[in-house]
Amino acid sequence: MSRPRKDPRAERAAQRVAGATRPRFDLARTPETATSGRPRRDPRAEERLALVPGTLRRRLDRTRRAGEAAIPAPQPLATPAPDAPALRRIPEPAFLVALVPDAPGGRLTPHDRQLFGAARLLADAGGGAVVALVDPAADDLAAAGADRVLTLPVSGYDPEGKALALDAALAALGLRHLLFPESAEGGDLARRVAALSGEALFAGAESLTAKAVTRAAHGRRTEQRGAPPTLISLAPDAVAPHAGTLHEALPVAFAFPATTGGAILAAEFVAADPARVSLAEADFVTSAGNGVSDFETFRALIAALGATPGASRMVCDAGLMPRAAQVGASGTVLDARCYFALGIAGAPQHLQGVAKCEHVVAVNTDLHAAMIERAGLAIVADAQEVMPALLRLIAEEASA
Amino acid sequence: MRIAVLLSAGRHAVSGRPAPVPVELQAVGLAADFVERHGADLTGLHAGPDVGPLRDALGHGLPNLVHLVTGADDDPLPSLAAALREGAFDLILAGRVAQGGEDSGLLPYALARALGLPIVSDAAALAPGETPGTLNVEQALPRGARRRLLVRLPVLVTVHPAAPAARPFAFAGARRGILETRPGLAAPRASTGLEERPYRPRPKLIAKAAAGASAAERLKAATEAASGGGRLLVDPPPEEAAREILAYLAGIGVVAKR
Repeated sequence: MSRPRKDPRAERAAQRVAGATRPRFDLARTPETATSGRPRRDPRAEERLALVPGTLRRRLDRTRRAGEAAIPAPQPLATPAPDAPALRRIPEPAFLVALVPDAPGGRLTPHDRQLFGAARLLADAGGGAVVALVDPAADDLAAAGADRVLTLPVSGYDPEGKALALDAALAALGLRHLLFPESAEGGDLARRVAALSGEALFAGAESLTAKAVTRAAHGRRTEQRGAPPTLISLAPDAVAPHAGTLHEALPVAFAFPATTGGAILAAEFVAADPARVSLAEADFVTSAGNGVSDFETFRALIAALGATPGASRMVCDAGLMPRAAQVGASGTVLDARCYFALGIAGAPQHLQGVAKCEHVVAVNTDLHAAMIERAGLAIVADAQEVMPALLRLIAEEASA
Repeated sequence: MRIAVLLSAGRHAVSGRPAPVPVELQAVGLAADFVERHGADLTGLHAGPDVGPLRDALGHGLPNLVHLVTGADDDPLPSLAAALREGAFDLILAGRVAQGGEDSGLLPYALARALGLPIVSDAAALAPGETPGTLNVEQALPRGARRRLLVRLPVLVTVHPAAPAARPFAFAGARRGILETRPGLAAPRASTGLEERPYRPRPKLIAKAAAGASAAERLKAATEAASGGGRLLVDPPPEEAAREILAYLAGIGVVAKR
């Protein structure tokens, strides 16, 4: 692999005939030791040696010195098994960082996961452990990053009872930080705990590190900055969620003080009426575009699916749907979980309005439409034919 | 029944000039509707150095406003607590978060704690309960959901922006309204110990991949929203398309599984 490196200038100098006024060269003379001493590199062989076998993507390991091992025979490519995240145990935590996720229905929201990320950031800086203070039944806490789990003794809607339990835990467990999401429920709880405990609340933290947190104040004109205090409520999309390691999520026992009934005598949850809820806060939006001409069927489909009606600019301009239903840059920017586009090609201004939607279903006749490319389930078909078929199928399933 | 609405010295969200906080004007509207339908005494309360544009609240349906004069750096909490205790109010309405001060939304909670009252957050509608001494509160939840609560009076209620829009300004109402000025309690505010600097908008988290994820995962998370990478069915029969769509919608949980 390594030949001696040629030095052409030295070779030329060795062929020069000495003693002449004009330079003369004896080209027949063979050069004796005209090498520089440095071996000549063979980059291809080095690359073959650095090639990591068995990965789907071509990967080179440059840290391996060339020549240490023989060139491996090419192996059949195999997909690497996704290695399970390593379990990290913190048996003797230096301190505790607690957090109270919203977890509606026992499911962690993205905001809750960001809260876990923030708690891990604060805990890992000094060898602390993260304690999740949850209502009964929240799943996936080990992967989210909880070392310990403490279940709160709360039944039904009782924020005052929950705040009293949290206040007791804050004092008894000696928590260094207690984190809340700055959401409707989490923000309310954070302020209740702040009022009960007398601790200052750092409300709506917009950036968080182990050394400093910041928040907006004075009508978003000044930024307050300080070391992380005990009570922090975290604004959404401020900290990345935790990933990489799995944690124990060990259940912890704690004797909460008994609470008496608060002033709330009855609480009844009323689900949102999708037909009346505004587009900006709708969960599931079904939109009609230029490919829809039968709006009676479209309205029937919306009622059958339980979706909030939306429309493209073309349809609103034509007066077929109200202007309030327009989705896109000049209409409403959606925050929906699912967007179902019927006969919408997907102008860039329309796609801006759908950018935050997690799932998109599109029905369009054009295979190359931008909406078809954006969709998680794309169907190249006429929306006018798919709508009645959907209605028939829903009616069939309802009667079955 | 006696109702008090707490008004704070806000700043306009865009111009930064002194202005009433919109959600507090919605609270005035809620209280004024309640008074018209069920009869009650309604008073506005403000603690601060100057009334300024809060006088406009009289034109938005508030019959009288009590201004508790405090220093510019005073904490309004003791003045408000004393006035509310003296007034023996059954229902106290407040906004969610002030605009222009600390903006932490803590004052209603601290006030409820000082007065020993229960607090209910995010009201969008109010109605008297069936038994006297109770109140029906409709609480606004995210995504347009509501929670109907029955609470025992007296109670402190914060109002949500989903409440009915504030009443339009009426000049005659503003002329008719009575502004009463009383001395407040001096209570110098304790220093927060926080460093203050001009606000700088922070970049929001865009990538959905987490901090500990590998570079390939982060790249995938950053690009998959644009590229979709979903299933594509070209010219299926309408029935098959409908089955696929319903199965997908049921799979992500927006349509009930049957």
